[in-house]
Amino acid sequence: MEKQSGPAGTTDRAGPNRKLWGSPTCSPSAGDTPDSPTGSQVEWCKQLIAATISCQISRSVQPDVVNRDIKNHPSLGCRVQVKMLHNQVPLLPGETIQIIVKDVMYICPFSGLVNGTLTITDYKLYFTSVEKECPFIVDVNLGVISRLEAISSLPNQGENTKGLELICKDMRNLRFAYRTEETQPDVVEVLAKHTFPLSHNQPLFAILYKEQFPVDGWKVYDPAAEYRRQGLPNESWAISKMNSTYELCDTYPSILVIPTNITEDDIKRGALFRAKHRLPVLSWIHPESQATIVRCSQPLVGPSDRRCKEDEHLLQIIMDANAQSHKLTIFDARQISVAVTNKAKDGGYESESFYPNVELIFLDIPNIHVIRESLRKMKDVVYPTIDESHWHSAIDQTHWLEYIRLLLAGATKMAYKLESGKTSVVVHCSDGWDRTAQLTSLSMLMLDSYYRTLRGFQVLVEKEWISFGHRFSARVGHGDENHANSERSPLFLQFIDCVWQMTRQFPAAFEFNELFLITMLDHLYSCLFGTFLCNSEQEQAAKETQAKTVSLWSYINSQPEDFTNPFYVNYENHVLYPLVSSRHLELWSSYYARWSPCMRPQVPVHQTLKDLLILRAELQKKVEELRRESPSQSLFFSSEHSPAPPHATGTSLHTAV
Amino acid sequence: MEHIRTPKVEKVRLLDRSTGQRKVSIGTLYLSATHTIFVENNPETRRETWVLHSMVSSVERPPSTPAGSQLILRCKDFRVFQILIPQERDCVDVHASLGRLSRPEKYSELYCLSFNPNANKEERQESWSFIDLMADYKRMGVPNNLWVSTAANSEYRVCDTYPSELFVPRSATPATIVGSSRFRSRGRFPALSYFHQDTLAAVCRCSQPLSGFSGRCQEDEVMLQAVMKSNPGSDFIYVVDTRPKLNAMANRAAGKGYENEDHYTNIKLQFIGIENIHVMRSSQQKIIDVGEMRSPSMTDFLWGLENSGWLKHIKAILDAGVFITRAVADEGVSVLVHCSDGWDRTAQACSVASILLDPFYRTFKGFMALIERDWVSFGHKFSHRYAHLDGDPKEVSPVIDQLLECVWQLSEQFPCAFEFNERFLIAIHTHVYSCQYGTFLGNCQKERRDMRLRERSHSVWPQLWKDRAEFTNPLYKAELSQSQGVLRPNTTPYCFKMWKGLYNHLEKSTPPRQSPADFLSAVREESQQLEEELTNHQERIAALTGRPITSEKIEVPRRRTRHLRYRHSGPDPPTFADPITSPAHENTRTLSSDPANQKAQTQDPPHPPPLGLQLAPEDLYLCSDLESGVADLSSRSSSAGDDGKDPDPE
Repeated sequence: MEKQSGPAGTTDRAGPNRKLWGSPTCSPSAGDTPDSPTGSQVEWCKQLIAATISCQISRSVQPDVVNRDIKNHPSLGCRVQVKMLHNQVPLLPGETIQIIVKDVMYICPFSGLVNGTLTITDYKLYFTSVEKECPFIVDVNLGVISRLEAISSLPNQGENTKGLELICKDMRNLRFAYRTEETQPDVVEVLAKHTFPLSHNQPLFAILYKEQFPVDGWKVYDPAAEYRRQGLPNESWAISKMNSTYELCDTYPSILVIPTNITEDDIKRGALFRAKHRLPVLSWIHPESQATIVRCSQPLVGPSDRRCKEDEHLLQIIMDANAQSHKLTIFDARQISVAVTNKAKDGGYESESFYPNVELIFLDIPNIHVIRESLRKMKDVVYPTIDESHWHSAIDQTHWLEYIRLLLAGATKMAYKLESGKTSVVVHCSDGWDRTAQLTSLSMLMLDSYYRTLRGFQVLVEKEWISFGHRFSARVGHGDENHANSERSPLFLQFIDCVWQMTRQFPAAFEFNELFLITMLDHLYSCLFGTFLCNSEQEQAAKETQAKTVSLWSYINSQPEDFTNPFYVNYENHVLYPLVSSRHLELWSSYYARWSPCMRPQVPVHQTLKDLLILRAELQKKVEELRRESPSQSLFFSSEHSPAPPHATGTSLHTAV
Repeated sequence: MEHIRTPKVEKVRLLDRSTGQRKVSIGTLYLSATHTIFVENNPETRRETWVLHSMVSSVERPPSTPAGSQLILRCKDFRVFQILIPQERDCVDVHASLGRLSRPEKYSELYCLSFNPNANKEERQESWSFIDLMADYKRMGVPNNLWVSTAANSEYRVCDTYPSELFVPRSATPATIVGSSRFRSRGRFPALSYFHQDTLAAVCRCSQPLSGFSGRCQEDEVMLQAVMKSNPGSDFIYVVDTRPKLNAMANRAAGKGYENEDHYTNIKLQFIGIENIHVMRSSQQKIIDVGEMRSPSMTDFLWGLENSGWLKHIKAILDAGVFITRAVADEGVSVLVHCSDGWDRTAQACSVASILLDPFYRTFKGFMALIERDWVSFGHKFSHRYAHLDGDPKEVSPVIDQLLECVWQLSEQFPCAFEFNERFLIAIHTHVYSCQYGTFLGNCQKERRDMRLRERSHSVWPQLWKDRAEFTNPLYKAELSQSQGVLRPNTTPYCFKMWKGLYNHLEKSTPPRQSPADFLSAVREESQQLEEELTNHQERIAALTGRPITSEKIEVPRRRTRHLRYRHSGPDPPTFADPITSPAHENTRTLSSDPANQKAQTQDPPHPPPLGLQLAPEDLYLCSDLESGVADLSSRSSSAGDDGKDPDPE
């Protein structure tokens, strides 16, 4: 039903990109199209695969040219056909050109200097060069830029030449050199104005973006429907509208699931005992054992070991709501030392003596500042050049994989406790919006196969991250020029990396592919969609984000086939326990090292499978037809050839096509 | 037989550390002339573990414990068994017997000379002609007007470690050959390894010149000139010395060394820097240790990996191959490759280059021919390097392991380019060490001929060919452009991974491994069945109605992968057919019915169970089932508490 982009649509989309894939050096596998049954499909798959992993095809193509495809501009996606001629900048609906600068030099770290024209719009920076045979394009959206910096010393350049370095959030830096002319407004000024619109009292581009998609992504997440899917409300848990005006907790969603056996007053008083009033509420309930994942923030114990009767009562009720276990496990994501230090700052952790039958486990996950620093080191390791002789130790020194391991291990512990121990778990960190969101969403991904579908994952992100107030705006720093803001941290990236690690270990368990994960990360920064713009649901409502911007899911769900994993088999009712041993975690080099020109596209494993699945679907249809046809014509042989088991299973796979 | 002091010990506890199991099984240990056999007491399973004596690399006897005496058996395929024997006396006997049995002193003690795979004389002779090297030379267009066969070495007179049939430049006279061989270490003069028809450039191999500081030899200079002249397209050749330059210079003091560019006209000397066999041996030990580490931290693992240097060495070998490939395919320049003796690093570099250059060597038969040519015929010292006989431990080194790993790393980068999969490489690895077949016995062709191995043993290749269904890479497509032409691998460090399939037995049976390739095999097979059924239906309808068949035939990418045989022991990724296609709630049922089938298959091994097999139905189920990592809500009792989960990772 969503297959609106048939062969015709795909060629449209391929239009601008075809130059790349079609040129003899770039497309090593172009030759085998004709003999395959579904030529256009195959061609399209190839492009998809190339784009998925892509960075670089052969030495002759610049990495930055290919960046275009990773971005996978939404406008190219659906119906709008963008004609790209030389020197003509493809524009999104609502996008306007701000300045065009000629004779700009792009200082490519891989191939040296390139001379061309730089166009700056209110959404992107677009550099084209006609010097070389194949057009050279650098297309970077402004949202991804974290900082603009003047380069002081430029060798072999004239007096009035200025250098500019763009430090990006997606693991790369770009350098340009340009001439200054007095008649022209300064490029940097224009660039800064549109790169950091919020610091210049301008709206983010998402507000100006006027694309229409056939699917409305804002409708993906309906809390009531999601809780209904989980089997809520039931006798122990109620769906509460207490927070509908965000008075109870301004960073929580309006709809909360809380125990039935507690009065509103107790809830209100209990909320005061938790940091930012983020009281314990239900995130997920096990369909059979009724064990639950409950999230909150740290208790405000303080140096004097304060207690709160209502809070203790609430946790007791949460424990009692699960008849299978007489225990409750609290996972504190922090290191115990940090939790202790927090007591001095009026925070703290639950004392096991005040909360009977409660087990407290610390997960030792470092805070946002450590993660930010780790990614910064990672950038140094992978961009622009890598140290060949000390690759592994350099990766080790970033500690990135170690932190990934801690997160996955923590989430696995939670899932295990819930699944095998049938015990409800409560998770918190300090404020309950960073590590807590990572942990709940990862463990839910392990426990519930619904979240491993394309739609389900969107629901998961909308629910655990956006509605529960992960501070996207602060963590990413949308449109804000204060790059040194200590609130910034790549927590969502870290979560997506964990998901990627899981997809590596269970290639058939996830309906979405790597392109989906990378696309999400790209649009986390791009400010094209409204999805990741706000800090909380309240802010989203106040700014009317849903009315004024487009959802990322509108784009994704308008062309789901691009983001579908051909290996997907629905493991309903399966719990995944990823191995968190260090030998099984890998650096996601197709994301972190994707700008490196030696990143080759991996080979189309997916494509082979996709072909095969399509073929099988066709065969299956034919067999079905014939089977229907044959008994109608004769009855006497139908018994002899009963449907074999593989075909029955085939249908279940079929859905993945 | 005389070495077996105790043929049978009862109440022995065995822990197979390599399968990652933590459960000890109790049973009886038997020592036969060829195998150590452990039979579990459990009457239901009676699981048997077979370990071939020649696969045992070491037997350690740590201090006794109150429970009994321990033995630790380390195998050449990196498996580790822990054995606990109640009586110390028995333990001493087993230790002494195994110590002797695993270290044969004469070729006649080796397994291949007693191993009889139910084949008659004709079949045996046929097995030796399965890979015909001359046919491969003919395939690459040799002999021709540039390269000719020479009879100079027909009775191994010129070089006893070279094959009797060799190809040399047309202009090289017998006198030149003999003269050149005198100037080369061990008489290994320049001879053709691979001829590239597209550019007419060739890859030749030899050993280091005996130049010392100033020595020169006119015939050798003429010989190199002849190599150059045999390539009409270029006016120089590359001489690739695969050693680090420092090592090559040090060799000059011993009267050896490298070519002086002033003495030879039109050569370009290039050093690659592959370390020697001693460095490789200790490096491999380090990576084995990394594989055996129990729950290492990220730092332990990454530092262990880097400090082993193993991946760096693999990269160096691939780099050598890439250099040769560029020269031959892009520049059209011939290359002469040597190291010190020209039988280790030279074999590696030439083989990697051939694989990169020619898609044929990425097929089953091609890869077999390649090993037969560059390794077996050109005198790679198999028996010394892989310790077939008790000998100098300094001669032992994992040289061919590295070639196999290079191929594996390539297959990771180019998953569709190779006809075979990782299991094929591991099978070759096993057979190189096992001495089950005569193929890899001895150190050169002459030795094999003198031993009359062709009459007394069998070749491994037909056996591997017969099992190819299991070794097939489902992604391979001969017609795909990627499978064609020259491979240009990326050799930046992040493209090299630890080969868990070979080195990390500890975890490879526990991980929740889903292999897309196995999945693909299953789907492909299913398509095949569907297609057959389709034809069936069409025929029937045609027969019934008398109408011609209307629906057009759908073309299926045709590569038959018949039922994948269930394999022994844990290592293999599961065959996907069962778990993936059965709905969750059916899993338990599938499992309960399955072992019966598997039993039927495994209880009937074709031959005396070859190399340390484990025949255990429930083990098969473990490894053929996704549940090792995927718990099932509806049948929670089945695997919820499995140790493999590692719920409490440290």
